[in-house]
This record gives sequence, structure tokens and C-alpha cells, in this order.
Amino acid sequence: MPSKQDKKPSIIWFQGVTCNGNTHSFLNLENLDKLLNKFEIFSHPSLPSTKDFDSVTRCSLECDIFIFEGTYDPLMKRNDVLISKVVEYYAKNAKYVIALGSCASFGGMFKASAPHRNSGLLFNEQEKSGPLLNQQTKIINISGCPIHPEWLAYTLSMIEKGREVEIDDLHRPIELYSTLAHHGCTRNEYFEWKVDADNFGEKEGCLYYKQGCRAPMTHASCNKILWNEVSSKTRVGTPCFGCTEPDFPRQNLFSTKTNMSIPEDVPLGVPKRSYLTMAGIAKTFHINRLEGKLIDYKTTD
Amino acid sequence: MITKQLIDQIEGEASIFFDMKDDVVDFATIAFPHFRGIESILKGKSALDALVITPRVCGICGHAHLMATVRALEDAYKNAGYPIELSEKVEIIREFTLVMEIIQNHFKWIYLTIIPEVAKLTNSTREQTPLKGAYGASIASKAIAIFAGQWPHSSYMIPGGITTDPTNIDLLKVESYMDELIGFFEKESLGISLEKFLAFESCKDFNTLNSDISHLEASLVDIKMNDKGLSYDRFLVIGEHIFTKPSKLKQTRPFAIDAKYVNTVDAYSPDQTSYAKNAQYKNDFYETGPLARAIATNLPIVKNMHRRFKDSAYSRVMARVFELATLLEHAKELLSKIDISQKSCLKSVDIPKITAKGIGIVEAPRGPLLHSVNIKDGLIQDYKIVTPTQFNIGSSSKSNPTPAQKAMKGMTQAEALFIFRTFDVCSVCTTH
Repeated sequence: MPSKQDKKPSIIWFQGVTCNGNTHSFLNLENLDKLLNKFEIFSHPSLPSTKDFDSVTRCSLECDIFIFEGTYDPLMKRNDVLISKVVEYYAKNAKYVIALGSCASFGGMFKASAPHRNSGLLFNEQEKSGPLLNQQTKIINISGCPIHPEWLAYTLSMIEKGREVEIDDLHRPIELYSTLAHHGCTRNEYFEWKVDADNFGEKEGCLYYKQGCRAPMTHASCNKILWNEVSSKTRVGTPCFGCTEPDFPRQNLFSTKTNMSIPEDVPLGVPKRSYLTMAGIAKTFHINRLEGKLIDYKTTD
Repeated sequence: MITKQLIDQIEGEASIFFDMKDDVVDFATIAFPHFRGIESILKGKSALDALVITPRVCGICGHAHLMATVRALEDAYKNAGYPIELSEKVEIIREFTLVMEIIQNHFKWIYLTIIPEVAKLTNSTREQTPLKGAYGASIASKAIAIFAGQWPHSSYMIPGGITTDPTNIDLLKVESYMDELIGFFEKESLGISLEKFLAFESCKDFNTLNSDISHLEASLVDIKMNDKGLSYDRFLVIGEHIFTKPSKLKQTRPFAIDAKYVNTVDAYSPDQTSYAKNAQYKNDFYETGPLARAIATNLPIVKNMHRRFKDSAYSRVMARVFELATLLEHAKELLSKIDISQKSCLKSVDIPKITAKGIGIVEAPRGPLLHSVNIKDGLIQDYKIVTPTQFNIGSSSKSNPTPAQKAMKGMTQAEALFIFRTFDVCSVCTTH
């Protein structure tokens, strides 16, 4: 009787131009051991692996899931082998290819390391022109800088259970990327009534009007599946930088570009005129509860 | 004959080229073949964008990069005539999250790197528990995320303070994560209470334990690492923090330090293109990291180790274990000092008004991390990063070896590979 061991889907986790952020984010997964038990890890940047790195770069293995982390640079070598060769081999021979993080999905932060040649596996920013164009049916993009560990755990578990992962136009799982980072933001009431944050470091106010927050334009579940199970950028007063989108990293990340004090980019899918009308009306209200301090601590000095 | 050895699972990869003589290392050079060009990516960007870009230098110590950036920017504000006063609350919370990042690093290093590598050398059959490292790190990351929103890749520190304005609810949560983490460390790693462990004054005290840590200690002695891996026996601590003291140390004798004497030169790597640089202080090599920090603060147990075993691989490894323990206690103490009624962020002038240079220095998990920025009208003209691995694991000529090269000399290849890892290599930081 074949042991269960033999049936575990195998994973090769391979890196291009990267900071290791997705690797370390994944290690934060709750119940990491339970997920890992369902797979055989042939190769991983930090976890115990059953195959050595040489056999990976020699292209001598067959794996079920090929995870690629980092920007794709056709001239980069790992262990003296061009990664273009390694990627091509495993993309052909694996059942699934996961482009992990915004670098692998779209080029991301390290596209700028060599802008004329670096890209994601399938996309070069928004454009579908990456090196794995002819393997695109296998590719799932999990964008984010870094990825949330649950996003990868979800994708791997769906694959392991033989369920289909539905994806959007950018090949991202729709169950993770259909909503915006804005969904579930604890500052939503300030957004509704157009009360902007006066400065960083305050509990009050929405960060969309001045501080550069991209949450209303960014597909992500950061305020639904909380980071490290406890929080998110916007919950600690940091603007969303739109790190799951193909145009990450944008510039001037801590300020909002405005026209006549209205943000140039309006919430996704909302007609600009409707937004202006609504914002104009909301701005005429003065709601003391939202304009004052939520909590006034008695100072000790 | 020169043989090449690939090193992976070190936050990237490196190659070591060994020149062996009579089965021991006569000389070794080290190449870091990957390059990302963060410094040039930063050029021309708004200076504040560095708070988002530099954490992406490194997935395991990005928070140290964030803090180095914010310190560099605040220094530039000061030099531009707009000094920034931070509240005590901000100073404490920043130090707390930095310290917790060091803690998560050490948990992973102990369980995912050092214990498995020691086991290879001792042919140990003891059960490996690498995920203990990931679990400890994940709890430390939760504590960071309460203040910083997430770990890795938070950008919650900004000139003037921090973006978060925590409540007592947040503090209670962090305190409970600290208790959980300390409890885990006591039960799973130490086999004794943190308090008792921190009272250790002699290496002999380890004999009273039967735990992962005492087993690690005994194994290091078994493979004679208390007598191997010795380097220059001089150390550097540059970052200003409550938990350590900037100093240059010759053995244990402290001298004053000034960061302006830090210089970098291109690495010597005749057999492969390397993008690494060697960092020096007044043109000399120094070791940095937990052993340096412990000696700078006169930690009794580490002084005892050092008296007996100098700057051996043993001292290097066990100083990291002890740093984890002392920082857990320090982090808990920091929490008790937070006054939430203080300001989280003071308004600073708009960044386009800033034309100045600034330097930011912190102690990252592996040692001093220096960021220098030159800003004109709020835009980055120039950005330079010097990382701890550049101090420890540079590659230089045979007559003037770096700390890691010196430590590997005279060892068998297997020993040298282990000793290389005792410096806690960070490839991505080195070449950024």
C-alpha cells in the first residue's frame, strides 16, 4: 500500500531578485506545521528541504507546485545557472506556478533594478508580456509586498484539496483580491463623512485625503485578514501604499495628489463627478463627534 | 587548488572559494553574486519614500532599515534647521519594535540555522524542531504589528514620531504576547525561568540544564567550537540604543567611537563577480553583532565566556542566545514605561523645504546599520547604506583578512562552513 507520504504534493520555492520578505512573512503563518505536513518541501529558502539546491538548479526534479519569489531577471544566475532556464523548466513541468509577491507578479520593487529587462513571470507591470506567457493557464499571482501568509496558505490548501482557485484578470485569486484594502478599515467613518487626518500619529481622520492612502483603489484583503492576525497599516495610521497593484511602488507615497483639494484618484469604480458631488455635500457638514478627539487621556504632567 | 562551495539559506546565496593546504583552510574568499541597486532606486525619489523602500532591502531585518532611515531623515531635518524633538513614548515604542525584530531574527537563526548545522557536525540524532524558531518569531512579529501594523515591511516610523497612537487595549495585548513568548522560550528553549537564566554568571551553569539551549552549548564544546573560529577579538557597536552602548572594543577594553571613521572598500573576489563591499573602521576590520553588544554592556556571562573562550564560534553563538534572553526582559521593561498620553507624532515641516545631509545609525540583528542621505528640496540626491554583514563577512586579501576570513583559517572545510554561519550571514543586506 502506498504510504500517504508519497502522495503529498511537492513544492519548490525558488527565488529571483528578492529581499526574502515573502519567505519571512510566510513563516509567520499560524499553524505553519499543519500546512507544511500536507506537502513535501523539495526546496525552500529557509525551511528544511528534502532536495539540495544543486538538484533544483540542475533542473533534475519534477514538482507539483513551483513557487517563484522575486523579480524575474533573465540574466540572473542562481548557483551559476541562469534563472531563465530554471524557471522555464519548472514552469513546464509543474502543475501550478505561483508568482509570489508583487515582484514575481508584476516586477514590483526590483523591476527598477534593471527596468529594461526585469519583469514578473507573466506580467510586466500591467502588461501581459512576461516570460511565462505560454504557460499562463498554470499561473496564479499572489501580489503584495510582502504577501500575507494566509493568502499563500489559502492558495496552497485549495490546490491540495483539488479545488479550483478562481482568478481575476491579473491572475490573482478573486477570493483574496475582489475587495479593496479599504474594506474593514477602522477609519471608514471618517472616509464616509470626508474628515481628513490632521497629521500622522492620530487616532482620528481618514488618510485618503492628505496622507496618500491608496486603500480605496487597491485590491487586497489587509483589513479583512489582518496582518500577523492583529492589525494592518491603516489601523496603525500608516497609509496603504497600494502594494498589491501592478503600479507598486508609486512615488510620493506619503501624500495625496489633489486637484482643488479633492484627491486626483477617486475610489475605484466611482465616477469622478458623483464622487465630487458627494464629497462636496459631506464637507459642508460639521460633525463635532468626528472632528474632536476620540479619547482625551488625562496627562500625567 | 581552489574549490567552490555554494552557501544557500542565508537570506540569499554566497559562494566561498576555499584554498586548502593539508586539509585545512589556508585562505578563503567570499562572493555575493546578487545585486538589486536599492541605493540607485532611491535616487530622485521623495525623501519620505525611503521609509517604504529601504525596509525592502531585507525581509528579516527591514525594520532596522526603517529605523535607520527615519533617523537619517530626522538628522537631515535637524541639519536643515528644523530640529525634531521626539516624545519619550515614541523613543520607547521605536526601540521596542526594533528589539522585537532582533528577537524574531535570533529565534529563527537558533532553530533554523545553528541547531541543524551543529547537528550535522555532531551527527546528532536528536529530533530537530526548526518550527520552534518560526513560532517564536511569529509571536514576536505579532507584538511588533500591534504598533507597526505588520511585520515584515512596516513603514510606521516617520519624521516626528510614529503613525500609530496606541491605547491601553493595544498595550495589554502586546504585554500578553510578551508573556506568551517568554513562557514559550522558558519551556521550549531554556528549560528554566528567564530570570534564573539571566542570573547565570559562568558557562558551567549550563550543565544544570537539559534543554535545547544546554544541548546546543554542550554540542559546541563537543566539536571544540570554544577553541575554533577565533577572529580579531575586537568589536564595534555604533547604534545608539537603551540596550547597548556605542563603543570600539579591543578584547573587552572599550574606546570611544565616531561613525565618521567607518569606510567601505570593494570586496576582493578574484574567482567570481561579487557586489559586496567590506566595511571597516579606520581601515581596520572589526566584528559586530550580539557578542560585540554584550561585551559593550559588560554582560557577566558573556564576559565569562570571553575570558575563557575569547571570540570563538562558541562565544559568538552563545552571545546570540543570551542576547535573545536579555532583550526579552528589556522589551518587557520598555512596555512598562510607555505613557500613552504623550504625543505620537509632532508636525514637521513639509519635506520639500529640506535641503541637507543626514545620517541614521541603528543596531540591527547582526550589528551596526548606517544610512546616509543627501536631500535637496525634499528629493534624494544620494543614499548610502552600510550593513553589518559588510563588517563581519567581507572578502579581503590574504594579508589583511576580514573577520569571517580570519575565523575560517586553519579549519577543516566542514568547520569553516559552520563558522561562516555563526556570523549570521545576511546576503541580501550585504549587496542591497
